[in-house]
Amino acid sequence: MSMSNCLLRLSSLFFLSLLFPGLLLAQSIVVKGTVRDQAKNEPLAGVTVQVKGATGGTTTDSLGHYSITVPDRKAVLTFNYVGYTAQEQTANRAGALDVALAASTASLNEVVVVGYGTQKRRDITGSVVSLDHSRLENMPNTNFAQALEGALPGVSVTTAGGGAEGENVNILIRGQKSIKATTGPLVILDGIPYNGSFSDINPTDIASTEILKDASAAAIYGSRGSNGVILITTKRGSNGKPVISYDGFAAEEKIANLPSVLTPQQFYQFKVTREGQASVTTSEQAVYDSKKFPNWLNLATQNGSKEQHGLSIRGGNTTTKYFASVNYLDTKGVAVNDHFKRLSTRINLEANLTKWLTYGTNTSLGYDNRSGLPATFSGDNGAYFFNPLTTAYDSAGNPTIYPWPQDTHFANPLAPTLAINSDNAYQVFTANYLLVKFPFIPGLSYRLNTGFEYNQRRTSTYYGRNTADGLANNGDLSQKNSNINNTTIENIVTYDRTFGKHAINFTGLYSYEKDLTNVDSLDAQQFPSDALTAYQPNVALALQPGSAYAKRTLISQMYRLNYSFDGRYLLTVTGRRDGSSVFGANNKYAFFPSVALGWNITNENFMEHNTLFSNLKLRLSYGSNGNQAISPYQTLAALTTRNYIDGSLTAPGYIPSTLDNPDLHWETTNTANVGIDFGLLKNRIQGTLDVYDAKTHDLLLDRQLSPVQGISTITQNIGKTENRGIELSIGAVAIDQKDFTWSLSGNISMNRNKIVELYGDGKNDTLNNWYIGHPIHSDLGYKFGGVWQLTDDTLHSNMGQVHPGQAKIKDLNHDGVINSYDRTILGSYQPSFTWGLANTFKYKAISLYVFVQGVEGTSQINNLLSEGGVQAGVRHNTVIKDWWTPTNPTNSYWINNPQSNPLDVHIVQSNAFVRVKDMMLSYDFSSLVSKAGMSRLRLYVEARNLFTFTKWKGLDPEFSSTQQQMPLQKEYLVGLNVSF
Amino acid sequence: MTCYKKIFIPLLSLSLVAGCSKKELNEDSRGVLTANLLFTSPAGFQNALNGLYDEVRRYRSGDIYGQINDIMNMQAVIGVDDAYGNWRDPTVDVFNLWGIINAASFGHYNHVWSYLYETINEANTIINRADEAKLNWTDAQKNNIVAQARLIRAWCYRHLTNLWGDVPLTLQESTGANIKTDWERTPRAQVWAAMRDDLVFAEANLPVTSTDDAQLIQGAASHYLAELYLAMGKADSAKIEATKVTTNPAYHLVTNRYGVNAAAPGTPFTDMFLDGNSLRSQGNTEALWTVQNALNLNGGEGYNIMRRYWANRYYSLTVKGTDGKTTSPIQVVAAAGGRGIGRLSPTRWMLNLFKGIQDDRGSNFSWHYYYTMNTNPPKGFKIGDTVRLDSTGAEKLSNPNWPSTAKWDWSSPTNVLIDPQYNDQFIIRTGETYLLLAEADYDLGDKQGAADAINALRARAHAAAVTAGDITIDFILDERAKELFSEEDRRYVLVRTGRWLDRVKADNKIAAPNVQARDTILPIPQPVIDANRTKPMSQNPGY
Repeated sequence: MSMSNCLLRLSSLFFLSLLFPGLLLAQSIVVKGTVRDQAKNEPLAGVTVQVKGATGGTTTDSLGHYSITVPDRKAVLTFNYVGYTAQEQTANRAGALDVALAASTASLNEVVVVGYGTQKRRDITGSVVSLDHSRLENMPNTNFAQALEGALPGVSVTTAGGGAEGENVNILIRGQKSIKATTGPLVILDGIPYNGSFSDINPTDIASTEILKDASAAAIYGSRGSNGVILITTKRGSNGKPVISYDGFAAEEKIANLPSVLTPQQFYQFKVTREGQASVTTSEQAVYDSKKFPNWLNLATQNGSKEQHGLSIRGGNTTTKYFASVNYLDTKGVAVNDHFKRLSTRINLEANLTKWLTYGTNTSLGYDNRSGLPATFSGDNGAYFFNPLTTAYDSAGNPTIYPWPQDTHFANPLAPTLAINSDNAYQVFTANYLLVKFPFIPGLSYRLNTGFEYNQRRTSTYYGRNTADGLANNGDLSQKNSNINNTTIENIVTYDRTFGKHAINFTGLYSYEKDLTNVDSLDAQQFPSDALTAYQPNVALALQPGSAYAKRTLISQMYRLNYSFDGRYLLTVTGRRDGSSVFGANNKYAFFPSVALGWNITNENFMEHNTLFSNLKLRLSYGSNGNQAISPYQTLAALTTRNYIDGSLTAPGYIPSTLDNPDLHWETTNTANVGIDFGLLKNRIQGTLDVYDAKTHDLLLDRQLSPVQGISTITQNIGKTENRGIELSIGAVAIDQKDFTWSLSGNISMNRNKIVELYGDGKNDTLNNWYIGHPIHSDLGYKFGGVWQLTDDTLHSNMGQVHPGQAKIKDLNHDGVINSYDRTILGSYQPSFTWGLANTFKYKAISLYVFVQGVEGTSQINNLLSEGGVQAGVRHNTVIKDWWTPTNPTNSYWINNPQSNPLDVHIVQSNAFVRVKDMMLSYDFSSLVSKAGMSRLRLYVEARNLFTFTKWKGLDPEFSSTQQQMPLQKEYLVGLNVSF
Repeated sequence: MTCYKKIFIPLLSLSLVAGCSKKELNEDSRGVLTANLLFTSPAGFQNALNGLYDEVRRYRSGDIYGQINDIMNMQAVIGVDDAYGNWRDPTVDVFNLWGIINAASFGHYNHVWSYLYETINEANTIINRADEAKLNWTDAQKNNIVAQARLIRAWCYRHLTNLWGDVPLTLQESTGANIKTDWERTPRAQVWAAMRDDLVFAEANLPVTSTDDAQLIQGAASHYLAELYLAMGKADSAKIEATKVTTNPAYHLVTNRYGVNAAAPGTPFTDMFLDGNSLRSQGNTEALWTVQNALNLNGGEGYNIMRRYWANRYYSLTVKGTDGKTTSPIQVVAAAGGRGIGRLSPTRWMLNLFKGIQDDRGSNFSWHYYYTMNTNPPKGFKIGDTVRLDSTGAEKLSNPNWPSTAKWDWSSPTNVLIDPQYNDQFIIRTGETYLLLAEADYDLGDKQGAADAINALRARAHAAAVTAGDITIDFILDERAKELFSEEDRRYVLVRTGRWLDRVKADNKIAAPNVQARDTILPIPQPVIDANRTKPMSQNPGY
């Protein structure tokens, strides 16, 4: 149904009701109808239909049908569905009332989860963004974090490495504020703090995702809100016939990019040129002569695959609603022997036990199997730069123990694939609630939330005598069993009333949270044989058991008052007091207040005749948030174990390892935020602009002590950082024809991070690479200035006597001498801006979705261009470079010689990039199959990480400068969504 | 509204206040050991001493805890007249190339400095807390523990003063309350005075001998006092202390074959270095201080890397056959001493000291001058043939064709290739005390006394005796090299006698063109200077 059709129908209903006032009799009537998605014209299941001002209500069934009894014709029905614009309709008469809801990212009446409750978008005063539904619902994500990448302004998601699990991502909201304390946002899953990994959340279970960014919005999570808050809400049951859905896909994965290393022949020449013929050992020579070279990268990688199948059922009746799902994921990564399997189930249940009592549970069970160790990519045995003049397999076809017989330091990069490894994890995450609506006081309710998170993971790795490690130790076993056990109890009182033009919403909270970790470990070596692998520690001659315990508790009280006058003026006042066990005895508690104002300008009389703005809202907020995310026990002077022996007996020993700090207290961030929400041309263009300034003080910092102290660091509250930024997101419908629509949504954000103060003396901390006035993440070093040429005066250079071909260093202070004063901040990890752009083209049932993201203005040291890694004796391969020679007097790279770069100058390269992250083509058969009882049938193909445009020479521009991570993959998927 | 308030407010306050227990926020640190928990019994003090001994053991391990590279004592043993770095890596390079890279920013110096002060802090903690603790122990019990800690503290300051000159002197346990950013470099003479107090206390309170090999004994205190007095210019006191050791029958030189290998060919001198022979309880009367390691024993994994660093890479030797094709005919075996990586090697000058003379200390039992083919012999050779190493050439880098000392030979009975070694070793022995005595005698003008001391060692080594006329300070230093190659902290001896620069220039061909007077004292590590935020700390001149 097109927009105009729908409007026509609605307006005719309205006029009919005006024409026939006599029909509006004061008696209870039954209203029925169908709720559909406005754009897709598909029925929407699970939409909440309520009579305004009354409790209870109903939800739509699988075909979008509802039926509700209303007191009279004047009754107003509200239609609410998470992720959709809520609607109000007057009942008018018994019978059919069909409604079309519009899915939208920023529509005014959209119901938004804001933490300890929900709010309508138009009433929100803080900076709250919702993840575009299309990034979640229709995308074949296996990990929730994938859906966030580039999708929201101010939310930076970087992929730090490849791998089957896809867990190697960092999420940063509005820049890095903390140095030591964790910088990741707080994740709230169904109202309960979630400490597990994103890969344990089944993305298809997620109904909506909100991000709280400014102080006011995050203040309700005061203690831990300073890094932003991600609120994830899973799907709920619906009223009516059960809907059964299947969502699945299969994918093939290919390596996106590999560094171009020297061929074996080139490597041989490189080695001889660098260190002479004598540096070639006899076994290397033999491999060279035989021309049987291993291609280590090919051996360590493969084409990966991935499949995910999810089945869900959703239904219920007026009193009980349920959503249940089961999901299976099986990934084979692009690194050999890299696996991730996940099986997860979920039951979300809500029961209206009485008119005033509701009980609900959102419970998921999960099982992860990560068994199998991938080949080694980084370090001395890493496949990327492993010596190619070696032997990968012995005559029997097994990976060699020592691929280079003359240098037994090097173990086979494939050795981990031979390890007997099991890695299984089990999770329970259950969020339960009891909601009491006090019948005698309208608007007052009490809610009890209890959350319990249990995670048990057991890893066991046995290296047998067919590996270098196992051979050196006669079998090497390491086992670890960790239990994480988190409990949350929340008491929430809400009072929500409207008195004329005054609307009040008050929330009070008392909560308790306890996080407990127990780890038992066992390292064993010296086994009689490999026969029983991991199942024989009782006969190991060397055993080292370990045990660790950590507990943290948090007690919080929070009040929030939302007040609005006439829908025009909005006020939110929040105060939260938190006590955390990790701080000093007298500094457990801190108070985090915030205040926010909102002004719905379009609701003012003077805007009545404005045609440009369909929505214009101004938001102002200021407040503080805290960070307690340091490990427990930092306040204590602890000892560490340093055992000795006495004859043939262990002599238990200890030495001091940390200093006590009873003054340790909360790290606090004060944020000012100004935001404008706007809608133009009847909301055909919608957008949000936010400007913020976040100042963090009392930074939890590992301060470097003088080595004379005998202990290197102490955690103290010192230093200040600042993050300032602008974020803009715009969504627009560019073309809106009957059969063809083109909509786009984009975001752009800029964040400027800097260290304002460290130890109070205005001095930098070069030990930690922290420089006042510069971003937290910065490198200091010499600047590469080309190559000393034959024509230069190499006898009397500013570096002393040099040789032609050696690296030049820029004399930045122009004093004629190269010394430590010529060092400068190298490159910039801080983007000038980041952006994301999603385009959706729809022609009838065909739609094409293209998502592009970009990071601009970053550069970092490219370690692949430094030759320290080849080591003396040329023990590692390196990437191809344009080496200087007398006949190739280049300035781009120095001579191939161990002494060519005495001060180890690094080459900095731009790692800005533009990535075509997702391209998806789908066909929706829903309208064709509805007669067959199917409500949905959709088929799609997708390509992920298809193109990356960058000047960076190496593995991936997003990876950190070591560039030895597991490679990133391109994915080609085909998927199916079916609902009955 | 009022009626609402009556219900609403009490309800709210109830929910917010209920269960707000202060106790819940106390740190539950049941898995964390603190000093207050440990130092409550004599056994706790012994545990702390065990930690301290493990620290001492690290002196022959990697410069980062648990690591098997960049041996902690490197700066004391190469870049001197008798040894050089036979490899090119960022740490070894400094002691060959000096110049611009011998700088405050050199990370290894900071590792060594931090290690020594970490050990000092551990010793201070024991010493301070022993005074404060009200335990049910005798004075003798307490003084014995304190004496061990004080000797080790003096041992740390011995390294610090020898390497850096004036260094901050701290005798207090570090706490969160006494963090300083205005450390001062204490004049070396004052540090020496504190060391003397520690060693005198140790000498008075340690037993002459102990059945427990883990326990420090009096001889070690006397030995270090003798060395300290030499540095202080008090040769007479040095002589008294050294004589206490050399005349005590409990510490007599090993002059006869003994122990695990007594029946096989060998020498008394080299018997001491064999696994199973190093400890006093194993018959090594000469040992004054030993550290213990053990394979497959919790606490035994000291990551000693002496062999790894001193033994050369004979497995990389290549031999050309009669057909012109080369092979690597020697693989790693226990008989060849285990697997070394040849980072540290004797200079040609050192090897020449034994040229053409009879001396057990230069024998085939003490040095690897040749290896035996045990795999892939090249054409024209067979297994069992000998591969002689270069006996006249000049020092080179990354050179496997170069003799190495056999003092640290050891390989695991279960795997010959593993990197660390797990045999017990002595840190000082009476043999060295004789040389301190010789130096004291020389300083006092008693050349005959010096000759006598040296001849005691020569007799044991079956070498020709010397006469008073031979004795010069350089002669004593040569003799030290013969006796103590790779055992002693060579740099300290050369610096103490003022001979470091001249002898490096003369005898270490790799470092000779690069060293300058500045390098006699090392640069204070940059982190020490940077962390001293409220008071500038002076750098040593020239850096």
